[in-house]
Amino acid sequence: MKRFITLFGVLAALFSLQFIGGGFEAYAAGVDSGNAAFNNAFHGLEVFWNFTGFHNATWENFIMIAVGLFFIFLAIKYDYEPLLLIPIGTGILIGNIPFVEGYKIGIYEEGSVLNYLYFGVQQGVYPPLIFLGIGAMTDFSSLISNPKLMILGAAAQLGIFATFYGASAMGFTALESGAIGIIGGADGPTAIFLSSKLAPHLMGAIAIAAYSYMALVPVIQPPIMRLLVPKRERLIKMKPPRVVSKVEKVMFPILGLLFTTFISPSALPLLGMLFFGNLLKESGVTERLADTARNALINIVTILLGVTVGASTQADYFLTTNSLKIFALGAVSFAVATAGGLIFARIMNLFLSDENKVNPLIGSAGVSAVPDSARVSQIEGLKSDPTNHLLMHAMAPNVSGVIGSAVAAGILLAFLM
Amino acid sequence: MNLLFVDSQTWTITMLGYAIVFVALCFLILIFTLVPKILSLDFKRLLRSREGNKNTGSKVKDVVMSGETNAAIAMALCLYFNDLHDEESNVITIKQVKRTYSPWSSKVYGFTNINFPR
Repeated sequence: MKRFITLFGVLAALFSLQFIGGGFEAYAAGVDSGNAAFNNAFHGLEVFWNFTGFHNATWENFIMIAVGLFFIFLAIKYDYEPLLLIPIGTGILIGNIPFVEGYKIGIYEEGSVLNYLYFGVQQGVYPPLIFLGIGAMTDFSSLISNPKLMILGAAAQLGIFATFYGASAMGFTALESGAIGIIGGADGPTAIFLSSKLAPHLMGAIAIAAYSYMALVPVIQPPIMRLLVPKRERLIKMKPPRVVSKVEKVMFPILGLLFTTFISPSALPLLGMLFFGNLLKESGVTERLADTARNALINIVTILLGVTVGASTQADYFLTTNSLKIFALGAVSFAVATAGGLIFARIMNLFLSDENKVNPLIGSAGVSAVPDSARVSQIEGLKSDPTNHLLMHAMAPNVSGVIGSAVAAGILLAFLM
Repeated sequence: MNLLFVDSQTWTITMLGYAIVFVALCFLILIFTLVPKILSLDFKRLLRSREGNKNTGSKVKDVVMSGETNAAIAMALCLYFNDLHDEESNVITIKQVKRTYSPWSSKVYGFTNINFPR
């Protein structure tokens, strides 16, 4: 240790000799040059100050930084979708550090590192990769065992089309309304995919709204569920799902891929990857690939997607009245989607025999926030009857909601492009 | 034509789009309701019955068990296997350890006995 300190001491002394020499030279050059050196130093400091965030900061930056910190707080304190909110929150901080433009720093500056990473969002590369991972980790057996529950996933897409209508009525163009409407699907990757095609300039606001409301599913949905489902219907116990054979599980992604994409080819990147991922899982012979898709790949893409979407909320692009309108529409769309699923489940019960009745609480899981909305159904079910476990049943509309929102995105693309 | 703040195109997309989502998923429901039935069809038996062969007495049915039955069986097996113990020889194998004195860690040699209060 002594040798180490001695060595670095000697090196430091040798290094400092140049300053001492420079100091003597400056002194010899006289007082005028001393003033010039002082002025130069002052000018250097001024340039440096102009480059700092403190000089370039605006109040909008501080608002967005506060929003980013709030996201991180929500994720850590209340455990609301931490895998999304931590990357997005940090991305918001990264995207809102003030800087001087023209040095390839910001996400919207061509050639910057962040801009390269953002390419995956702009061109809709990340969402299909996320869908691949979702497919590889989703068990569709509850859906296969009781296919009629799939209709609840369709019913909850009411949120998408109601928001599309609402956005049009508020003065957005048809393309913008389509992109905003998809927030009602409660599906972040689909929202990013569609908005990157229809309204790239609104993508930051749409993605943030979609992910924020997805994280707030446990807060938004329960009051609507209690309002729309009477106590006696919340007590309905559903038949346990039947055992699903391996052949059915393998056939599901193949048939699902063929039939849904024939109806809505525009959703091919999403649905193709979703069912491909599921086939990797269910085939039983590609475990390594399935494992990569549901762990390493989806984790990497989630990190990149979260940070870049967060960083895309650069204050001067994000803090507009349009963003506020999008947030308001997003909140309404989530409520409408939830209500759509719940009401349709109650209507379904009118036509079902007593033993086949569904608990309407699983209707809210038709929004595709997997698995949070299914978990909310389970929790609300347990509050009414501690022996009534709805999670397995709620997963059916939940995963069909993923399919439904992707189909709806494809339909909007087909109509509007 | 404007109707309720929006033009007719918006209405078309809203109504038609929602209807197509429904149709697409209803189509899937139909398929996945039919698939298990098709899979459980016993084609050999059907062919034999058409040929008039009556030797189909031993009818094998798929056993369909509910999740509750499976859970009960799993619980019973778990309880059974938890009750099992390894068989032991009943020979006590604890060896007596002699505490013989060893000075290697003795504190007497570790203290500096200068200014030690006596």
